[in-house]
Amino acid sequence: MYTAFFKHQWMGFWRSRGKGGVIAVQLVMGFVVLYLVCFSILVGYNMESIIKEVFPGKDVLMVFNGMILYYFAIDFLVRLQLQELPTLAIVPYLHLNITKNKLISFLNLSALFSIFNIIPVLVFFPFAVLKMSTDYGLFSFIMYLLTILSLVIFNNYAALYFKRLSIENLKMALIGFLFLCTIGALEYFKVFSIASLSNTVFLAIILHPLIALFFVFMATSIFAVNTRYLRSHLYLEELKSAAEQKTSTDYPFLDRFGEAGVLLALEIKLILRNKRPRSTALKCLLFLFYGILFYKQEVLDANQFWILLFPAVFMTGNLTMIYGQLMFGWQSAEFDGLLANKINMKAFFKAKFLLFTISSTILTVIVSLYGLMSWKILLVQFAAYFYNIGISSVIVLYFATISYKAVDLSRGSIMNMQGATLSRMLLSFPMLLSPYIIYFPLSLIFNPFIALLGLTIFGLTGLLTQGFWIKLLIKEFNKRKYKIATGFREK
Amino acid sequence: MLEIKNLKKEYSGRIVVDIEHLIINAGETVGIIGNNGAGKTTLFRMLLDLIRPDGGVILSKGDVIVSNDQWKNYTASYLDEGFLINYLTAEEYFIFIGSLQQLGAREVFDYLKSYEEFFNGEILSKGKYIRDFSTGNQNKIGIVAALMQKPELLILDEPFANLDPTTQIRLKEHLKTFKMRHLTTLISSHDLNHITEVCERIILFEKGRVIKDIQTNVDTLKELEAYFSLQ
Repeated sequence: MYTAFFKHQWMGFWRSRGKGGVIAVQLVMGFVVLYLVCFSILVGYNMESIIKEVFPGKDVLMVFNGMILYYFAIDFLVRLQLQELPTLAIVPYLHLNITKNKLISFLNLSALFSIFNIIPVLVFFPFAVLKMSTDYGLFSFIMYLLTILSLVIFNNYAALYFKRLSIENLKMALIGFLFLCTIGALEYFKVFSIASLSNTVFLAIILHPLIALFFVFMATSIFAVNTRYLRSHLYLEELKSAAEQKTSTDYPFLDRFGEAGVLLALEIKLILRNKRPRSTALKCLLFLFYGILFYKQEVLDANQFWILLFPAVFMTGNLTMIYGQLMFGWQSAEFDGLLANKINMKAFFKAKFLLFTISSTILTVIVSLYGLMSWKILLVQFAAYFYNIGISSVIVLYFATISYKAVDLSRGSIMNMQGATLSRMLLSFPMLLSPYIIYFPLSLIFNPFIALLGLTIFGLTGLLTQGFWIKLLIKEFNKRKYKIATGFREK
Repeated sequence: MLEIKNLKKEYSGRIVVDIEHLIINAGETVGIIGNNGAGKTTLFRMLLDLIRPDGGVILSKGDVIVSNDQWKNYTASYLDEGFLINYLTAEEYFIFIGSLQQLGAREVFDYLKSYEEFFNGEILSKGKYIRDFSTGNQNKIGIVAALMQKPELLILDEPFANLDPTTQIRLKEHLKTFKMRHLTTLISSHDLNHITEVCERIILFEKGRVIKDIQTNVDTLKELEAYFSLQ
């Protein structure tokens, strides 16, 4: 029976629609996983020398022991976000003559096939084998490994259980994040230390191996709790998230933009009310920390703005870039309706430009905080801002008229490559590189400040000639609208 | 109202629609019938400029529909869920569609009042997004949104499918009143009883071609039943 289940899963994966186009993406994902695995093995194998390198003079075992609980605390939070619930896979089997127990064991079993369960084993086991199998006796060693394994299992099922309890995991993520910050702060102010707790626990296990049974007990309990929860909730409607009362809203401040405002309000609702675009937009906020990596005092002193330009363009325009990448695929489900209805194409494109302009403006205002470092950053960011609203938006929308892949809004965005095509992924290059076509010559002939001014003027020109670009885009769109609509109908 | 000339559409060598000449007169209620694969939906999509014909032209009030959008001013349609915006509430969707026709929110709600019976308390102020409604109720939303646009030409693809019996009867009564209002209506359906009851002219398609084009009379239902039972 289980082999049949897994065979179906396997076939489902390979026969999923639109797979042909994303095979490159699958390969990339495969490489990422492979890379992670190799990296973990390398780290695990060289753990001793790494610890000696990073924490010179400290006892290696103590540092190692201190790390373990930390790892699992972070691991748990990451799992809450990334680990997928393998629930819906069993829907087609619910009505068949298969016992519930079998279905539940299948769910539990398939939940184990996750990269999250492999990494800790690869990271922690080699060190334990190399260092401890000889030093502390076989029994201690086995119990030590058993503890780590129990923690893996515990995290695996606990994360799934909590995810099942509240499918809306945004709040959970926030709480978890705050929790982590609190622990970090406690650690920093030396009130409470996970590291020392972890060290104490694992030292105790080495000395009194039977303590490990406590962790085994924990893992078995959460497994049992999870199983019991599944057994009592194995119904179609309960496998999905609970429904809350939805209300109608409108955005009166958009009224002044006329029909474009109506369409923009529609798109804002699309972003806020669907899982995938919502998490995509949230992801954009995360990229605002990019500046920390790139903005360096010595770069600023030397006026090497070209180094700053890349993060500035990316931060002020990341919604344009990331959300725009899947344009008009976001609206694939209602695209026929949009075409058949009396929608003014000019307003349709105008709404997209408005969305990009508003998002870039908000992002620019936020990243202006980097201006506290130096006023020069503000110059770079404003140049990037005008470039983004004037030029990037046109490039993005042009690419939108040549992409035919639908996007399913109900799935999460992390690790979700559906709708991604090579052309769309390549789209970021012209957007991130084209400012340099303006910047470098001007910077070489005159100076970096003139180059920024040139970029600003270039962006403003794009903005002032927007009417022309909209006409051009409509022409391109009309050439391919049937192809786009056909592509969107094939989900 | 509509004139179709030499319209052709092929999918990988298979002819889906092939119409030499077809005229739909203003004020007619026309039923389009045929088994699956007869090309009904493809024809409707071409009428709405959603699919590019491989050959031929469609004229709406004498204008070629591909080259200008004039026809959108007097045409309303509901083919499938792809016409709904599934992350809006029903009210928001009606207001959105209304705004495209320059109708304010109040006018929209006034209009919807006349459909309270049709909705049967299932649609408005339910606190649900359209994606969470059942297929039947989604159909109701789409049909009423199309009617709300006060069109001269109305195109509905299988409007009776998924509706409960009460709503089917109400929709039938409603469609019959269109003849008096001189509205041109194109309906496809698999239900021969409904279609012969509502439509004054019936066009039967087979593999993309017009097989029969008849004015409905007392014998029509029998004639159609005879055709379909021989298939």
